[in-house]
Amino acid sequence: MYRYDAIDREMLADRTAEFREQCGRRLAGELTEDQFKRIRLMNGLYLQLHAYMLRIAIPYGALTGVQLRKLAFIARTYDKGYGHFTTRTNLQLHWIKLKDAPDILDHLAEVGMHAIQTSGNDIRNITADPHAGATADEADDPRIWAEALRQWSTFHPEFSFLPRKFKIAVTASPADRAATKVYDIGLRLHRNPDGELGFEVLVGGGLGRTPYLGPTIRAHLPARHLLSYLQAIMRVYNRHGRRDNLWKARIKVLVASLQAEGFAREVEEEWEKTDKAAVDLPDTELARIRAAFAPRGFETLPATSAAFEAAKADPAFARFARHNVKPHKIPGYAIVDISLKKPGETPGDCSAEQMELIAELGERYSMDEVRVSYEQNLILPHVKLDDVAAVWKALHGAELATPNRGLITDIIACPGLDYCSLANARAIPIAQAIARKFEDPALAEQIGELGIKISGCINACGHHHVGAIGILGVDKKGEEFYQVTLGGSAEAEASLGQILGPALPAARVPTAVDQLVEVYLRERLGGERFLDTFRRVGLAPFKEAVYAGAH
Amino acid sequence: MKALTANRLLDGEAVFLSEGRWVERFADADLFEDDAAALEAEAHAKTQLTVVVDPYLIDVIPSDAGYAPLSFRERVRALGPTNKPEHGKKTEGGEGIEALLHATGAARSKGRVELIRRK
Repeated sequence: MYRYDAIDREMLADRTAEFREQCGRRLAGELTEDQFKRIRLMNGLYLQLHAYMLRIAIPYGALTGVQLRKLAFIARTYDKGYGHFTTRTNLQLHWIKLKDAPDILDHLAEVGMHAIQTSGNDIRNITADPHAGATADEADDPRIWAEALRQWSTFHPEFSFLPRKFKIAVTASPADRAATKVYDIGLRLHRNPDGELGFEVLVGGGLGRTPYLGPTIRAHLPARHLLSYLQAIMRVYNRHGRRDNLWKARIKVLVASLQAEGFAREVEEEWEKTDKAAVDLPDTELARIRAAFAPRGFETLPATSAAFEAAKADPAFARFARHNVKPHKIPGYAIVDISLKKPGETPGDCSAEQMELIAELGERYSMDEVRVSYEQNLILPHVKLDDVAAVWKALHGAELATPNRGLITDIIACPGLDYCSLANARAIPIAQAIARKFEDPALAEQIGELGIKISGCINACGHHHVGAIGILGVDKKGEEFYQVTLGGSAEAEASLGQILGPALPAARVPTAVDQLVEVYLRERLGGERFLDTFRRVGLAPFKEAVYAGAH
Repeated sequence: MKALTANRLLDGEAVFLSEGRWVERFADADLFEDDAAALEAEAHAKTQLTVVVDPYLIDVIPSDAGYAPLSFRERVRALGPTNKPEHGKKTEGGEGIEALLHATGAARSKGRVELIRRK
């Protein structure tokens, strides 16, 4: 793991001291709300329906035990004893008081954390594959590059007043666990036929009101030129991005208007003029960052574990092993998924006690590493197969062993109208109702891989456009209705969902999901996933099932 | 009929104007039958920079057990999140909370519309 150095620590100390003074001036009436709002947002502090919300950055979703314990401490001391992990791999605390915010930022700074780049029209917290450094299918460790981007982008003066917010995701695996097709910039690290490391650069993806899958503007950018090439992209965006219309200000609209080829041409021209040596990371600095993520401490173990296999005699553990344990690049190790999706609970929520347990398990069994995934789950990336049963037992005791990763109850949901000022409708109760309907783990397993993603408004924090079943809350004269889309995916073969039909009232949604599942089970061939069956048979049979009798 | 709401500066709590003070319970809120008086109260609230943030008027209707905000969003603000029974103002219980829980009106929230307009 990368540890903050003296420069990082000094930067955070300055920042928190500055924010404390700004809060004091606001409370004393020396700053108006309009003046203060931008300042608090630059420190991750939003005002929502019931309280302030603090969005804490978790760069590339990586946490140490000390950091996770600190989050637990903050949740218990300053909030209601829990936090909410988001689709941007951040942590949101929904019951924060303005008067406490400076103290909380001081606590975060103690463990190299902050809430910078979690709001505003800047380059936001960088996300990456949560299996980084653990999966065999990656070309390199994407955290190295995500960390380089973090250092480059934080407080970058040229990119602190962009037309709109800007999000970058990095993956080094063809499986794409970072949703790179739906980011402002998606970076897919790979080796070309000559074995050279480079990035496929996708620009202009995004969800929200106008969803786009990002087109590739460069198939192979030599990795060493990452920063200069991204600077060129940002300069083209800064120059031509719409500042006159909030809804057209994202880079995806610019890329769509210039077409990918036209946008790429502008970037290449800008890049041509760039003094690359002055911008790109020196080899020594890259080596310094790389060293922080170098594999260490892995033991030489047999590829299989008798203890792991024997534990499968317990059907509950066997089910957990089938769905929540993934192969690791090192023989004898596994990646263990911790589901934050127990049916009936709020997706992504984690209590302070659960955070502390996971911190302990991470320290004891996973080389002090815990990851956050954009699916709102946590991951222990480096667990010995011999230890998986012990980890499961501990998780089970804390209601954290739900064996549903990737299944129908592993639902993404934004906070929605229960918390968020911008929401049209609630997302969490819809997720809770659907999950309860399919809470029988045998049923969920029979249905197989099926991603349901729910957003409470068109801003799409719940990624509904890329759900195999997407659900969008809409406001019909003040009443909550839900528009259903089918066939979306954020994975390597990404696709945007198609609208099923007229929006449904809240009470109809779980039944509609049931009807969609029935059609899938009836139509599926062999080992098809829901998505595969939908792509083969199309919308019609699903539409017929949900809307038959409606007219 | 209208009530005046805002978020308290210090902690962000949803509050309502009641006899010149800001209170946490909707049941205690002043109800304005006269639009001019409501607008005057709103204008005054906007000068209370160190007390509340973004005050605005909400429509109020009679429910089975009392009065309640017309907009569902405003009822969520007055009750707390629906996903966690243990959090928010609804945990206090009582007649005022019952009135909110049983209200069925629907309308777009002026608070949200204004928030998006200002964004």
